[in-house]
Amino acid sequence: MRTKAFALAAASVLVLSVQAAFAQAPASPPPAWHQGKPPALAESKLAPLAGKMTETPASEIPISKLKLPKGFKAEIWASGLVGARAMTMNDDQTKMWVGTRGIGRVYEVSNEGDKRTVKVLAEKLTQPTSVYANGALYVFAIDKVLRYDNAAKGATGQPVDMTAAFDLPKEQHHNWKYVRFGADKKLYVPFGAPCNICEPPTKEYAQIRRYNLDGSGKEVIATGVRNTQGFDWHPKTGELWFTDHGRDWLGDKGPEDELNRLSKPGQNFGFPYCHAKGYVDPDLAKGNKNACKDVTMPVTTMGPHAAVMGIHFYTGSMFPKEYQDVAFVARKGSWNREVKFGFDVVTVKPSADGKSAKVTPFMTGFLEDPKTAKFWGRPAYLAQLKDGSLLVSDEQLGAIYRISYSAPAKK
Amino acid sequence: MLLVLRKGRWALLAALFICGAQAQVPERANACAACHGADGNSALAGTPSIAGQPKVFLENYLVMTREGIRGSQVMQGLLKGMPDKDIVALAVHFSKLKSKPNEEKADPKLFGRGKDIAAKNRCASCHDTGFRGKEQMPRLAGQREEFLAEVMLQYRQNRRPGGDTMMNAALHGIPEADFKALAHYFSRLK
Repeated sequence: MRTKAFALAAASVLVLSVQAAFAQAPASPPPAWHQGKPPALAESKLAPLAGKMTETPASEIPISKLKLPKGFKAEIWASGLVGARAMTMNDDQTKMWVGTRGIGRVYEVSNEGDKRTVKVLAEKLTQPTSVYANGALYVFAIDKVLRYDNAAKGATGQPVDMTAAFDLPKEQHHNWKYVRFGADKKLYVPFGAPCNICEPPTKEYAQIRRYNLDGSGKEVIATGVRNTQGFDWHPKTGELWFTDHGRDWLGDKGPEDELNRLSKPGQNFGFPYCHAKGYVDPDLAKGNKNACKDVTMPVTTMGPHAAVMGIHFYTGSMFPKEYQDVAFVARKGSWNREVKFGFDVVTVKPSADGKSAKVTPFMTGFLEDPKTAKFWGRPAYLAQLKDGSLLVSDEQLGAIYRISYSAPAKK
Repeated sequence: MLLVLRKGRWALLAALFICGAQAQVPERANACAACHGADGNSALAGTPSIAGQPKVFLENYLVMTREGIRGSQVMQGLLKGMPDKDIVALAVHFSKLKSKPNEEKADPKLFGRGKDIAAKNRCASCHDTGFRGKEQMPRLAGQREEFLAEVMLQYRQNRRPGGDTMMNAALHGIPEADFKALAHYFSRLK
């Protein structure tokens, strides 16, 4: 989610738990309202798009409006998950957990083959996400980490409070977290810049960290990362690829969102001085010839204000061969743009050397009129089922769609 | 509680009367009417008017309050377990009612000062032209004066949990006297 510093904050409502708010000293947030918005855009009425916080029955989801390449089909796999974002599953995929933002819930979905049932596992949390790791379910809210042990057959019992071990900074803005469990048995956790454009208030922000499962061994593996909302490891190289949102209030053209590749720990990805492929920040680095020095450039840019979310490298056997190891990326869609952009899932095909990539729209139809911002859904995250079909969560309608493929019959 | 309910019934009757043909008042609106006014314009100090608020704003507020994430304890209690469809019905209902501004004579000096402060802080960039609100952003025009002033102060002091943190930042550094001027100005707009 791209924003004006603290100010033109979240599209969905950002949440403080009651206790946390009262416990907090009334420290004032930085005076960020005007930051990053040039005089030329002073009268702009652009604001984050409203999310939908009430349930949408499956019968009201216009699934037939979705467009996919030939042979692909989309169906509603689950619904009633208001504000659905990142998905995580147990090993046999009989259970899925889905986090949210403003509504503060983590859902548990039971996958019973031909149908799904949904229950609220945890609630009243500040923008929670979840990740299944080593038989346990970890819930990461902005101010809390909870661990449900023995989640292999569904999370039960009271969670263990792991908050103290993870050293979470307090700012909420851009700090909803996408969390993954790596092959190295570590948890990968991002900490966004708490502003549209600023020198982060402390060194705890604009970075990706990894931790051991118990919170020990904290290591910052990427810096200069404004707001990553998703990552995945390349199936062949094992490198971490991550999405990152470009800053706002520099007009319809960008700077564009990024798709980055971490080839070694410790790389710097440019925020707040260098955006996209060498776009020098006019507020914080104007005229600075070294703004992009030692900055790792993105593999590809992903479109202006596109709001790139989840990424998933396809490794299944259902889709045609040309999709093998191709990245699917959800673009939730822009708000800080007069003509809306994104609201789709694209494929990103890396070049042989992995240094560039081709971006092609794959799933479209959510955005009906870019000029009037008429849209009905906002694709957010991706997950792959064992049969090779691909799931896409829609944060706007609180639903999960399943994309399957069958070769068109030869005539 | 009984008293509130009884008052609520009368308020509902009044609402039915006022709305005339618009007879499809959600059943649960009577509980709202007791405090927020039968026509959604509150006559109670400290209680906001809800007439003419954007539907999305009302929905979001009601859902978040039901979830126990924001709102007062009274509101949380009233909304506990309310299904989404009832919340949507209430939001539709109150969003369609007409907001009435404060009819008391404005202090021209204070009104003018409020207008200037609102322009300087670009309140209309989200709360929309005429401060009538849009989508998730509430209407300020015609809202109760003391409510607006108090809410702005609560935001600035981080005492209003569960809302959007952008308001905390937007009001950063603005003195309380300016909130009073803003509230005076907004409350008298149609």
